[in-house]
Amino acid sequence: MRHALTAVLERNSTFTADFATEPYEAGWAAEARWFVKTLALEGEEPALELTAQISPDGLHWCDDDESTARITTEPGLVSLRVREFGHWLRLRATLRGGDPKAKVLIYLALKS
Amino acid sequence: METTHVPADDLRRALIAADPRLSKFNPLPRILAFDEFNTGTHGWCELIGNHDGHGDLDTVDVHMRDFRPPQLSSCDFFDIGTHAAMSGNYALKVATRPVTGHTAVAIRRLTMAQRGVVQFETYFTYKSEAATAESSLGNSFGDIEWDGNLHPSEAQFGAFTVATDLCDGEGIRYHCVARYQNTDLDNRFTRRWIYPVVPEPTPKENLHNQENLSPVEDFTAPDPADWRALDEEPQFLCYNEVPTKVNWHYLRWQFDTRTRTNIELQVNDRVMDMRQVPVPQYADKYDGLENLLNFYVSVRTHSPVRNFLFLDSALISVDW
Repeated sequence: MRHALTAVLERNSTFTADFATEPYEAGWAAEARWFVKTLALEGEEPALELTAQISPDGLHWCDDDESTARITTEPGLVSLRVREFGHWLRLRATLRGGDPKAKVLIYLALKS
Repeated sequence: METTHVPADDLRRALIAADPRLSKFNPLPRILAFDEFNTGTHGWCELIGNHDGHGDLDTVDVHMRDFRPPQLSSCDFFDIGTHAAMSGNYALKVATRPVTGHTAVAIRRLTMAQRGVVQFETYFTYKSEAATAESSLGNSFGDIEWDGNLHPSEAQFGAFTVATDLCDGEGIRYHCVARYQNTDLDNRFTRRWIYPVVPEPTPKENLHNQENLSPVEDFTAPDPADWRALDEEPQFLCYNEVPTKVNWHYLRWQFDTRTRTNIELQVNDRVMDMRQVPVPQYADKYDGLENLLNFYVSVRTHSPVRNFLFLDSALISVDW
């Protein structure tokens, strides 16, 4: 049987500036999927741009070129797939618009 | 009259001694759980506070909303790559945020089939996160000046805790707790085993004031004055200088749910008698927690550096 593990990286957290999730180590996993539930998105034409990042050491990061960034402009659930990553994952989020404010719940679903 | 108990016990001990996976432990007669984290998380998961009947996570107390999900770590570091664990490749890693006072907690939930002696054993290590050019706090921190051997990383580690949440028969709820305090809140080495003299704050206490305690409050016992040293002797552990070397330590802790007291704590070559350590009970009686037998481990940073507690494996055994 394959191993599966879901981690909650942000829990109803509110951001008013760009942020990245805490580093998550998952060398055992072959596939990963981010789920981002935007609970509230406020401001002037606000947008939340989400990019998967990978790292060999949990300290230094680059964007994962193989996964597609997501832009969300309203509350709801979106997901991003990541495969064949190095052993560390995080999600980089950019907030756009005037005085943007985003409240999010972020899951990382992993499978061996 | 000779009974069969003695030879049966000899055989049992011989079988444990001959098993490379178990022989590093000293289990009581019945093994409830044997968690080698090379094979998964074995039920160790993030602790959070309670939410309301609408599934609204905004109703979780702010000081219990962010205890971080545990990770299955191959102990990867920037300087050598994979260090790996003791029993296999993976260890359970409990990691704080890089925020002074932040705590991460992993919990395992069981119930008791009987009252009696309960023993928790683990092979553990503790580390601060390695620095980068951007995150470095310099070569001097707390009591340490980097000299080629001593490394400031060791002074950036706060404390780790082994603890329980127990409730029995008459709704009596209490926590047996032992904490290794590496540094005080001023980042000075204390290296003491300490215990709290008050029970943990509960969600019910904060029901109408969820911001009563801040997210960086010490959730086990928020007031530093509510902690006592087990004795005056510091215990020096093997941090091994830099944040990227992992040496595994043995810990064995016993308590008795008949008497609702601690028994003893062994950490490597030191055995500490805990029989006189008071175990505060909640004044309220609890419904719905019948025979609660929860174990948790936590790590708290006293610096703006991520702190990690790694468990290679854990074994929970009982005398019933």
